[in-house]
Amino acid sequence: MIQLKSIINCIDNSGAALVECAMVVGRKGAARIGDRIVVVVQKDRGNADSVGVSQANKVRRGDMRHAVIVRTKYKTQRRDGSVIRFDDNACVLINKAGDPVGTRINGVVAEELRRKKWSKILSMAPMHA
Amino acid sequence: MATTSTTPSLSSATSPPPSMRSISTSSTGSTTKPAGISYHRHFALPPPLPSVRHTHPDPFPALTVKQLAVLDPTGARTRLFDRTQPDAAKVGDVLLVTTRKGEPFAGVCLSIRHRGVDTAVLLRGQLMRVGVEMWHKIYSPNVVAIDIVWRRPKRARRARLTYMRHPKHDMGSVTHLVSAWKKERHSMRNKGRGFKGKTVGARF
Repeated sequence: MIQLKSIINCIDNSGAALVECAMVVGRKGAARIGDRIVVVVQKDRGNADSVGVSQANKVRRGDMRHAVIVRTKYKTQRRDGSVIRFDDNACVLINKAGDPVGTRINGVVAEELRRKKWSKILSMAPMHA
Repeated sequence: MATTSTTPSLSSATSPPPSMRSISTSSTGSTTKPAGISYHRHFALPPPLPSVRHTHPDPFPALTVKQLAVLDPTGARTRLFDRTQPDAAKVGDVLLVTTRKGEPFAGVCLSIRHRGVDTAVLLRGQLMRVGVEMWHKIYSPNVVAIDIVWRRPKRARRARLTYMRHPKHDMGSVTHLVSAWKKERHSMRNKGRGFKGKTVGARF
């Protein structure tokens, strides 16, 4: 249940670490797994490698991007009656066309993305549950 | 009409006809009172309806039995979560659920929700360092197998172990327990086969 002002993790290598939801696209209520949202980057990934990482960052603090939610703390029910719930909220940045901004995803993503036709993100993910 | 004229009437002069006599609720029949006449009711009462409780008993127990005959014909799954069985799966044990589609999911059992056919179990595991909780319906045809990978040594003092969501009590990843269980199961199944063929290079 991600809505305006929700701060969620960004789990790809686009450079963003924490993003804040500004709008839910195509829906009046809160966003669930597989929904598209408009986000503002609040924090980018650490400058541990100083120059190299900051140049590799595709986004910076304050950038506005679209994102797809891949994990929620709110329970998602499946058709067979099973329910899944993650320990955090996470998203992956995408451009307006729907292509991911980053090239890699680290972490698990939900299987619900398959039904919502986010196959590119699902294929990039190392594990899906 | 004629019979009521002999009885002493307490209120109105017109007594109700025999067909409209109320049914007496008193168990003791007095000798002066003819059967079925109550002096305290002078209005028509319909005869009581047959009790629905007896003619239409609760359908759900019968439906559950019918559904379980299809979903769990051997009764093994029911026995696995039967509270009266000593070797049942309990809250706090680590269970491994294998589904028809998707990877097997292992986790600590935080809660068992008993609801007949909809009985479900909540498992808390970890996938790539992220805590994941899953409810699984134990009688679902998608659930191929539920195995007890590790039993809690002492009975948990609660029925719902939601405190295990806190970092202090979180069990974290249970993959080491699953590996140990698989290894033991493999060795039990292949006792006496030695280091032949498939056991060489077997990965756990």
